[in-house]
Amino acid sequence: MIYLDSAATSLRKPVSVERAVLQAMRGMASPGRGGHEAALRAAETVYACREEAAALFHVSDPSRIVFTLNATHALNIALRSLVRPGMRVLISGYEHNAVTRPLHALGAEILVAGRRLFSPDTLLDEWESALGQAELAVCTQVSNVFGYILPIDRIAALCREKGVKLVVDASQAAGILPVEMDALGAAFIAMPGHKGLLGPQGTGLLLCGEEGEPLLYGGSGAESRLQTMPGDLPEHLEAGTQNVCGIAGLLAGLRYVRGQGTAHIFAHEQKLLSAARSQLGQSGAELFCGPEGTQSGVLSLRYPGLDCEELAARLAERGVCVRAGLHCAPLAHESAGTLDTGTLRLSFSPFLSEGELREGLGILLGAAES
Amino acid sequence: MTQYLITFRTLTQAQRAARLLERAGYTVTIRRAPAKLSVSGCGYAAALRKRAFEAVELLRGHGLWTGKLFRLEENGDYREVLP
Repeated sequence: MIYLDSAATSLRKPVSVERAVLQAMRGMASPGRGGHEAALRAAETVYACREEAAALFHVSDPSRIVFTLNATHALNIALRSLVRPGMRVLISGYEHNAVTRPLHALGAEILVAGRRLFSPDTLLDEWESALGQAELAVCTQVSNVFGYILPIDRIAALCREKGVKLVVDASQAAGILPVEMDALGAAFIAMPGHKGLLGPQGTGLLLCGEEGEPLLYGGSGAESRLQTMPGDLPEHLEAGTQNVCGIAGLLAGLRYVRGQGTAHIFAHEQKLLSAARSQLGQSGAELFCGPEGTQSGVLSLRYPGLDCEELAARLAERGVCVRAGLHCAPLAHESAGTLDTGTLRLSFSPFLSEGELREGLGILLGAAES
Repeated sequence: MTQYLITFRTLTQAQRAARLLERAGYTVTIRRAPAKLSVSGCGYAAALRKRAFEAVELLRGHGLWTGKLFRLEENGDYREVLP
C-alpha cells in the first residue's frame, strides 16, 4: 500500500506512539479519578503531554493546553466561546466546514476575504480592508485542499493592530510549520492530534489565549460539590473521562516532532512536492501549485473529463490511498473554481520516501489513462 | 518527620505547582486532598516534608499560590498553618 492521504490522517506513526498507546492501555486509569498508582500514572502522562505541547507551540502555561477529540471539537469550543448571533466574523476563502458550519449554526454573519489561491499578498490587502467591519476573525494556517500556506503571522499582526480577536485553525500546520501562540497572540488555536502531530485518532488540542466557555458539562474530577465546571483551565473545558491512551500516543508523537524539528519535516515534504510536480507536470493533469514557500506537502489535481472520485477508486484498487471530492471544504473549492469537479488530493508525511511516491505517481498516471 | 499539604482546587494546578517545586529541589508527591480539607469536593494536594513556608513563597512568586497550607499533627489531624 502506498499512502498519500496524510492530510486526512497520518497512517504511519513513530514506533514510540504505538508503544505508548499500548503501555497506557495496560497500566493507566483516569487522571483525577483516584489517588492510586494507575490514576497518578495517567495524570503524569497527561500533564507531560500538556508540557510537551506548550513547549512546541510556545504556550507559557501548560494549563492553557486543553485536550479535545479533534480539531473540530476544539474549534467548536473556541467559536462557541466567542461568537454571538449576528456577529460579523471574517474568514479566509479556504476554511474547512469545521469552521464554517459552527459559524452558521451560531448565527454569525460571515464575511469572506482572500479567495485568490496562492496569493498571500492579495489576501492581506483584502483582510486589511475587511477587518474594519469584523468583530472576530477565523483563519486556517494551511488549506487542507490545496496546501496553500496563508501568511498567518501577518494576518495575526493585522488582527492585533485592528483589535480583532483571532482564532487559528492549525489543522494542516501543526507538526509541519511553526505554530507559535506567543507570537500570534491568538484567542485560540485549534489542531488535531492525528495528522502532523502523529498521534492517534480521537485526539486534538485547543491552545487557549482566553478562558473560553465549556461546550460539554460533566465530571472533571475536581470541585465536585459545585454544579458548575471548575473555573480554572484546563478542567474548565474538559468534561468527562480523558482519552488517556490517545494522549499517551500524542505525547510520543509530539516528542518525535520536536526531536525532528518542523523545519526538517517541512523540508522533506517540500522535496516530495517538488518530485510530484515534476513527475505529473506533463501528464495532462491540471495541478494546483503555488510559488515557492506558499504550499505545504499537499497537492490537488484534476484531469479534464475524468471524475476525481472514479480515479481515486481506481487508485484504491491498485493499493494507492488518496482522497478525492470536496475534502469537507466547499468554500475552498468555490474560491479556487473547483467546486463542480472537486479534486484528487495527494498529501505527504515524514515517513513517505521519494521512491514510494514515484511508484504511487506511476500508478496514478496509469490509472488516469486506463 | 513533619508532613505538609498544599491544597489546590484542581489536579492540573497541583501538577503545575509540583513541577515548579521539583525544579527548585523539593521532593513533592501529588495526592488527593483529604475530604475534610476540600471545601468544594475532590481537591488535590502537593505533599512535602520540609521547607513548606519557603515553598509557599515560591508558589506565590510565580502566581501559583491558590490554596492553603496544612501540617499533619500527631493526632492525625491536619491543621492549617497559613491562611
